[in-house]
Formats: sequence, structure tokens, C-alpha cells
Amino acid sequence: MEPLVSDVPSAPPAEAEGHPGPQPYANPYLAGIGLGLVLLAAFVLVGRGLGASGAFNSTVAWMSSKVAPDYARSNEFLASYLTGEDHPLKAWLVFEVLGVAAGALLSGLLAHRISVSVERGPRISVAGRLALAFLGGAMMAFGAAFARGCTSGQALTGGSLLNLGSWIFMLAVFAGAYAVAWVVRREWR
Amino acid sequence: MSAPFYKLGYFGDEVSLIIAFVLGVGFGFFLERAGFGSAKKLVAQFYLRDLAVFKVMFSAIVTAMLGVTYLAWIGYLDLSLVYLVPTFWTAQLVGGLILGAGFVIGGYCPGTSIASTATGRVDGLVYVAGFAVGTLGYALAWPLVEGLYTAGAIGPTTLPAALGVGRGLIVFGVVVIAVAGFAGATWIERAMAARDAAAAGRLAKGGS
Amino acid sequence: MRRWIARLSNNQKLGGVALLLGAVATLARVGPRRLVTVDAKELLTRIEREEDHVRPAELATWIIEGRADYRLIDIRDPAAFAAYHIPGAECLPLSQVADGALGRDERIILYGDGGIHAAHAWMVLAGMGYTKVYTLREGLDAWKEDVLFPTLPANPTAEERAHGERAAQIARHFGGAVRVAGAGPASGEVAPPPALPAPAVVAPTLPVGATATSPVKKKREGC
Repeated sequence: MEPLVSDVPSAPPAEAEGHPGPQPYANPYLAGIGLGLVLLAAFVLVGRGLGASGAFNSTVAWMSSKVAPDYARSNEFLASYLTGEDHPLKAWLVFEVLGVAAGALLSGLLAHRISVSVERGPRISVAGRLALAFLGGAMMAFGAAFARGCTSGQALTGGSLLNLGSWIFMLAVFAGAYAVAWVVRREWR
Repeated sequence: MSAPFYKLGYFGDEVSLIIAFVLGVGFGFFLERAGFGSAKKLVAQFYLRDLAVFKVMFSAIVTAMLGVTYLAWIGYLDLSLVYLVPTFWTAQLVGGLILGAGFVIGGYCPGTSIASTATGRVDGLVYVAGFAVGTLGYALAWPLVEGLYTAGAIGPTTLPAALGVGRGLIVFGVVVIAVAGFAGATWIERAMAARDAAAAGRLAKGGS
Repeated sequence: MRRWIARLSNNQKLGGVALLLGAVATLARVGPRRLVTVDAKELLTRIEREEDHVRPAELATWIIEGRADYRLIDIRDPAAFAAYHIPGAECLPLSQVADGALGRDERIILYGDGGIHAAHAWMVLAGMGYTKVYTLREGLDAWKEDVLFPTLPANPTAEERAHGERAAQIARHFGGAVRVAGAGPASGEVAPPPALPAPAVVAPTLPVGATATSPVKKKREGC
């Protein structure tokens, strides 16, 4: 009989002595259903799905408008987030992403999974891991910009709406990741 | 049709922003519940050790997809008012490949990086910085990337429309693929775990 | 059978439920609904309060001002549309008005030759929940009378002359001309209106599923 708790790997590394240990992760199917219901609520309440990369775009556009306002206005990509009367940070996704941080913090607190640490495999140094985290983030910024979204906006939202481009994107993400996984295996295993 | 509420004018922009925050809380909560604040958990998907990413994603997609279909069917949700991102298949294909490659290098995607940073992971924070810098780089490289950005434009397109198949049939197809995938994922996880155990056993015997 | 179900794990039960829901979903139809429920009191009150129409003179001003926050829908057949249509109008024959080409959150102005067909279309759309739908009061007949070929009194007062000048400007803008009362045939009748101007710009026929040009303030809805 399959246990209700996902088996492999079920829990993050144990905490130090005296602290209550981190709880095992939730059943992925239940977490997914929960996520799906949140997404459905977004459709019903606001008529749009979730996302994340757009908030980064808004924030970067806003920061550029403070540091180099003329350039920001002349750059087609940045300017598209600076039009309209509203402050660029008064964007739906910016508020949503702040909620993501709060929600994750809440879940982490309840499960005793808050820890200042660096996630890495046994064969890579902290510095190496952080460098790759930065590089991966930068790469994904390009990927998300081309695709008009990331896994939450395109894959989850577009996937559930049967959006053609989103499904193409989703398959490409898995393909790209599996293709490169063996190359960077040292980072994780 | 009573939904989407915002599109039908039931509340204004300010309330919609509050709702954005609340939905985000739910989003982040379930991401962390699943363990997606941890890069190791996420990346295990691509080493076939832990396919939680697939399970969570497709459970979410199936749930929302069935919900949308049923609500539209009973006439509660006006699907034409739910925003569908236009398809740029070339840009999205290339973008997806880049995103996937970056995923296994960086260890997160934008949403999970926020969840990770919120739970204290330093690599999550560094990822966020990298993503922001990458976004700026993309903006600076705009004249070069604009061509690919607009490649393959075919407007808002759904799978049923593209494949010429009824929506209900596609929905069922997705559910079947998902459930079959879940069964397959369980099998793969067990097989890989057994392989790892055998390899560890051989190492122990060889070492001692 | 019951024992077999009992022996399934919880995850497998979830999968079974999903497959069941998916199978039923093959019957789903999600297009725009054909049956319309009308809140009689609410709609009639809206009509009484004149919240259901705009006047030709108002529309003329909006067109001249270049306002882009509405869609002007011509519900006549394509041949009539091609012969003449108000600048900026889209052709959407009456029988297709409820097919889903019109967004429920858009501001829509309907017009036909007179006021009756547009009023019918208004009733249907208002019943479907459109809150920002209006008719052009008395349609093209009134558009010709008030905007294209306004009639000016034969001996205008100063005030009437000023008003007449403005009307003449508007009429000229749309390719029409003023008429002076009493200048026609005997017995005080006004001459029949001159031929309609050829449409200066042919607006494209509304393709199904297309969205109109966005108003000035467009919210980002992507990811």
C-alpha cells in the first residue's frame, strides 16, 4: 500500500539538536490539487492565471526608471512596463509574488523548514553552487522573457487553459532540463 | 455567467491587487508544502530520483483544467473573459529549452526561488539576483532578441482549436496522460531507488 | 468490486476520480450560451432612465475627438455596410451578435437602419449580462437627420446660427451638408436627403474571435 507521504526523498536534512525537526514534505498530489484550486480561484475571481516572471520585469523596469530614466523610457522592453498612470510596482504580479513569499514563509514556519542554508550536492562548494544559481537565474530570465512566462505562468496557467504555446513551452522545458542534467550532475549528486 | 468577477465589474483594481496577494499566499504555501523551496527536491526530477515536480505540476493542471471545464460547462465561468496568452510557438519553444537548461543549472524557477528565499535559502536569493540581472540583460539586448521574441506568432490558440478536436476530448486526454504519467513516475522512482541501493551496496562491499 | 476499491491506495483513488471526471468532461460544451435570462425590471428601468442609448450628436463628437474606448457595431448585412457605414464601425450582422465576438467587458454601441433591430440586439446582450451596451438612438435614420444632413431654420437667430455653424462643421467632417428648411419644394416640405457619401475608410469586417483595438489604458495580463 502506497503511504500517504511521498517516499523519495521525503524530508529535508535534519535540524540541529534541540530544534523540532523539519516535517516531511506533503503528498505531491495533494499539494498539486491545492495549487490547482488556487489557480482555479484566480480564473474565477480575476479572469487570469498566476505568474512570477512578470513581477521581475516590473521591478527591473522600475529600478531602471529610477537609475536611468531616459534610457528606460527609450528601451521598448522596459518602457512597456512603465506606461500608464499607475506606479510600475502597482502590478498584479508584484502583489502576487509578495504573497508567494508570505505563503512560503508561513508553510515553512509551520513545518519547521526555515533554515539559512545553501542547497547543494555533496561534490560542489558553496561558492560554486551560488555562482551556478546566479547563472541559472540569468539564463531563465531570457527563457521566460522569450516564452512570455515561466513554469507558473505558462506551464500551470496556460497548461490548464489548454493554451497551445504553453504546452509547447512545457515540453521544451522538460526537454531542455533533461538534456543538460547530466552535464551539471556534479552540482547535485 | 457570473465569473470572472473582476472582468464583470464586481470589484475594482485595488481589490484585485489584494486578491493577487491572497492568491499568492496560497500559491507560495502549496509550493513550500511540496518542498519546492528546496533546489535539491526540484532538481531530483531531472535525475529521475523524485518526480514530485511532474506530479505537482500535472495534479495542479488537471485540477484547474477540470474546474474550468466544469464551471464553463454549467455556464458559471465565461471562458472568453479569461486571459489566454497569445502563442508565439518559436519563441516559446526556444524559451522553454533555455528555461529548462537554466532550471537544472540554477536549481529553481522564478516562483520557487521566491519560496526558497522566504524560507532562508541563500542560493534562492542569489538566484533571484541572477534572474533580475538576466532580465536587465534581456532588456539591454532587446534589439538583438526582438526578432526571436516575435517569432512564430499565431495568436491565442488552444489545443482543441489547433488539433481540430473537441475540448472535452482533449481534457480527457490530458487526464489520461497525467494519470498514466503518475503511475509511470512511481515506477521510475522505485526502479531508480533500487538501482541506487544496489550501487551503494556494491560500493560498501568493495570499500570494506 | 468494493474490496478492490478498498485495496487501492489513496493516491490511486484520486487518480480514479480524476479519470472519471475527465471522462464526463468529454461531453462538455463551453461556448457562449444560447438561452438568455432577462431581469425584466432591471432592464426596463435602464431603458426608462435612458441608460440604454447614445444620441447621434454625442457619437459624432466622440468620433471627432478620436475616442477609442468603445466599439461601434453595425448590425445590418454586409452589403448595406459596404454601401455606407459610420466611420469606425464594424460589421456584425444581427444574427451573429450573440455568437461571442463581443467582449462582455467592452463598451458597445449598436446601430441599424432605424432603432428597432438594434434595440432587440440590446435586449439580448443586456440579458446576457453586458452592462456597457448601448444603441444609437434611432440608428442611421437619426444619424442622417442630425449629423450628416442637419436641417437649419430658414431665419436663424444668433444662437441658432452659432449652433448651425457647429452642426455644419460636423456634417462636413462626415461628408454631409446642412439643409435649410423651406428651401425644398413647395408646401414647406424638406427636400429628400442627398445621396450618402461613400465611406471614406472601409472598416474591416469583424473576424470571429478578434479583439478590438485596445483602449488607452490596457492592463498587462501576461505572466
